Amino acid sequence: MANGVFTISSVISLSAGALLAALASGAAHAADAPKCGLGTGQAADGRPILIGSVVGETGPDDFSAGADAARAYFKCVNANGGINGRPIDFRVEDDQWSPETASQVASKLVKDDKVVALVGNGSFVEMTVNAKLYEDENVAVVASACAVRECFEARNIASTNQGPVPSNILTAQWAIDNLGTKKVACIALNIPSNGVWSCDQTDRWLADQGLEGVPVLFDPGSADLTAVLLEAVATGADTMLVSLPANLGVAFFKAAEEQGLRDQYNWIAPTPLYKEGVPEALGDYWDGKIYINAELTPWDRDGPDAKRWREVMDAFARPEDPRDTFSQAGFVSANILVDTLMEMKPEEIDRDNVTKALKAVKNYRTDLLCSPWYFGEAASHQPNHAGVELVIKSTGFEVVADCFEAKGGMFEDILAMEKSQGMTGAN
Amino acid sequence: MGAYGLFLVNGLAVGAIYALSGVGLVILCRATGVLNLAYGAIGAAGAMIAWQLMQYGCPEAIGWLAAIGTATLLSLAYGRLIAPHLSFREPVVRAVATLGFAIMILSLMNFSWVEAPRRLTLATDAIGLSILGMRVTGTRLIALLAAVLVTLAVALFLAATQTGLRMRALANDRDLAAVLGVPVVSVETVAWGISGVIAGFSGMMFADLVRLNPTVLTFLVIPAVAAAIVGRLESLMLTLAGGLTIGVVESMATLIRPVAPFRAAAPFVVAALLMLWYQRHRRLTFAGRD
Repeated sequence: MANGVFTISSVISLSAGALLAALASGAAHAADAPKCGLGTGQAADGRPILIGSVVGETGPDDFSAGADAARAYFKCVNANGGINGRPIDFRVEDDQWSPETASQVASKLVKDDKVVALVGNGSFVEMTVNAKLYEDENVAVVASACAVRECFEARNIASTNQGPVPSNILTAQWAIDNLGTKKVACIALNIPSNGVWSCDQTDRWLADQGLEGVPVLFDPGSADLTAVLLEAVATGADTMLVSLPANLGVAFFKAAEEQGLRDQYNWIAPTPLYKEGVPEALGDYWDGKIYINAELTPWDRDGPDAKRWREVMDAFARPEDPRDTFSQAGFVSANILVDTLMEMKPEEIDRDNVTKALKAVKNYRTDLLCSPWYFGEAASHQPNHAGVELVIKSTGFEVVADCFEAKGGMFEDILAMEKSQGMTGAN
Repeated sequence: MGAYGLFLVNGLAVGAIYALSGVGLVILCRATGVLNLAYGAIGAAGAMIAWQLMQYGCPEAIGWLAAIGTATLLSLAYGRLIAPHLSFREPVVRAVATLGFAIMILSLMNFSWVEAPRRLTLATDAIGLSILGMRVTGTRLIALLAAVLVTLAVALFLAATQTGLRMRALANDRDLAAVLGVPVVSVETVAWGISGVIAGFSGMMFADLVRLNPTVLTFLVIPAVAAAIVGRLESLMLTLAGGLTIGVVESMATLIRPVAPFRAAAPFVVAALLMLWYQRHRRLTFAGRD
């Protein structure tokens, strides 16, 4: 039957066409594959280098995006000759937001597996529990999602993200300069090493500027965010600093929308609200009304490292891995480690040497960060303290102020230290 | 009045849903002897499915049907497939089994919907009126009204229908009622069904008024259990009063600066104080309690 023949032949020709197209795109893909590390295109087959990571993956929120990006980058490095021939064996453990589990998995990585360093850590609990272990065992951690005080005030942990204090202060600083902010309500979780600490530091910084900040703290299990909103309103503040995880932040803004308060206050937030899905969840009501500080540069930038990050994620990450600020931070952390290891002789890569080499990292430059990064030998670390201010639109985020530095208060001391020790190449 | 009025009105709306959930727990507990700790998870599953359908463009009415339908099905599935195997075990075993069911549902939800900012918006959010300086949305008014109406309707059902009479008989003495010919399985099925419908409704209300997050919604069973305990797992009216009280105490505590950050403990404090009050005339004796 002519019709039948026609159909079969079309199927054959279509299939052949599809096969050719697939082959062509495969070849193109191979040609476009990102080059990492040595860029040889040859898989590394030497003795593996063990690297660990502890993340809070399952629990109230997922802090594993940094380790996901690090994993993708290490895969790319391993596929391109590894660390001078040695592949990275990257072991990620989930602390499940439990201090006991955090302690167990860190002991496993550090004492049993004997990892030479940890990279991409992100958690609310593990740094508080394990900072001493990392110091005692002389293992360095290049974290990427630090959220608690102990993560920044630890001798052996330095993070590529800022954490809530600089991010709160940067967004408040921008609001003071551009929205006329005089009094800030710092709305955060009643967790001593997170919300209590970050609001306290923000309020101190505001006091240094001759302004006022009032903490509005609540339990993460609180059902009723309207009561939190009413409490914030009762402080008499003109600016609401919503320092909450994205899900709670969205619920808080919904309560404010219900009360029709959009135009009566300035609304600002640190990085957690710079997350995919937030503009859609907030809706048109908040278009152009919420200003957010991003701890790293925006996701859609065209700098070489920004492009490389996206290419590596597309080629080596799982489709469900987030492409957000913490993913960028994990990518930067992994790059810092790989660049450091590449400088070392492969046979000299052991924990003591790697810790020494990582602590010596300074003036590390990437277009994903607003300022150079360093580790340094100190009792606390806050290398990232510059950010970008964005505004939420119903369709996404728009930049309102490109990279700017936090000024005044504690940052004067940090900048002075950086200058005197040449940490950022500015001495 | 000012601020007090504001926080009172706010507390009543959230308390109403605690009360409503408490009523759903009490009716089930009275008829089957099961304290259903999966109640929050069942409501959460309904709300998540409703949200997903509404994201696909389905009208809100379909969302409501899906929420109530899902919750009812889950409740019935447990009530028919698992609960009968445990009917002769101690109450605590039966309660812990429902906790297992809650964790199963929660895990499935976390598997299906990865952590992301989500928001459920109902048509009734857009309408509202100002009471004591606070804008009260239609959803909050519906919550309050529904809590009162459902409590009255369930009380009437238990008092005036044959199934209600059978439920009371089962609650009074399960073995005796069975011997007297009460069809245990079918009466229990009705109770699981009613409880599921209320769970679905309160799940949607919680998702709108609190936040659309499977874990948060699953653990909202805690204030509901506290409300039910205020009603001694028997009295619907006391459960209603308990839920409203917990909501109001939680909200008003915001005004007292030192305790404000700890107000999430309100359900436990209210329930614990009432339990102490209820047993005030009891004394321990050698033979047990007098």
